[in-house]
Amino acid sequence: MEEKELVRLSKEGNEEAFSILVKKYKTKMFNLAFSLTRDREMADDLAQEAFIKAYFALPKFKLKSEFGTWLYRITVNQVKDYLRKKGRMKEISIENIKEILLLKEDEAGREEREYAEEQRRKLVHQVIQVLPEKYKVILSLRDIQGLSYGEITKILKISPGTADSRLHRARKMLRKKLAPFLSQKGGNHEM
Amino acid sequence: MKCKKVERFISRSFDGLLKKEEKEELEEHLKSCPLCQTKREEYQSLLKALKEKDLPEAKPYFWERLQPKLKERKRYQPWSLWKQWGIRAIPLSMLVVILLAAVIVLFLPPKDEKLSQSEAFLLRNLNPLQETSTLLEEEGLENKNMMLIFTAMEENNGARRYPYEK
Repeated sequence: MEEKELVRLSKEGNEEAFSILVKKYKTKMFNLAFSLTRDREMADDLAQEAFIKAYFALPKFKLKSEFGTWLYRITVNQVKDYLRKKGRMKEISIENIKEILLLKEDEAGREEREYAEEQRRKLVHQVIQVLPEKYKVILSLRDIQGLSYGEITKILKISPGTADSRLHRARKMLRKKLAPFLSQKGGNHEM
Repeated sequence: MKCKKVERFISRSFDGLLKKEEKEELEEHLKSCPLCQTKREEYQSLLKALKEKDLPEAKPYFWERLQPKLKERKRYQPWSLWKQWGIRAIPLSMLVVILLAAVIVLFLPPKDEKLSQSEAFLLRNLNPLQETSTLLEEEGLENKNMMLIFTAMEENNGARRYPYEK
């Protein structure tokens, strides 16, 4: 069954149709909430709450727009509300992984490099948590979830120019904070 | 090209947003600027670290846990059905009321009602106050006459006198 048909049936209160939509989007919404909170339990609660809100807001949903985009917007707002209530994280402890991350590539063995890479990943995600909300959200949507610029502009209701400059500022902020821990050889990325 | 602009180009290059000439300009600058080369490596490392190796799966029985919550909320939000259908019904019911009112005004025969005296004055475009005062004055005369009769009768009986007599 097509997504639009499932949405139409869900609007009429058909729970079976809505369950198919939930199964399709649950991982995406959970991942988005997880990338912004780094807390599995909380991400699960936020994703569930986002689906409940979506279900009761369905009568207002216009079938002209994409259901996935609309759902992403609800989840982003849900997480934003939670983060505002919780308040910004002030400190992160990086001392224990500092040494590993500062190991030179040629000095470290394969296992150590892999471990350092994992620690770096953890550190990057920890540092994201202390960024201002709007930068955290755009980094999550673009660089973690891998959504396109088009999708991001629709979800956040911002212009492509704003999305571009906001993303650049967010990455720059993160790079500056993490510069001493970023490896000389990063990996393969599209150029 | 300045290093500040190059940093923006580096960031955009990872999204495949650079035009051919911008790409060439960037590469040209990177060849001669070790500082920007380092920045590019840092961005590469950063974006690699941002990508989750394995995106975590949602916790099991997601729908099974969600369904009872939906049912519970439905119970506590009986007005949600009103929100769904009632709001749509408002303009429709207003239209029905307007149509009914129009039918009543246009098709029902007017009632043959007897007009009150003041209504009659109004219809004849007369000043009802003026007319009424005349009537009252007439009534006043009658009252005065009656009072005189009663006073005279009381005088004859030798009873109390009224303070204003003519």
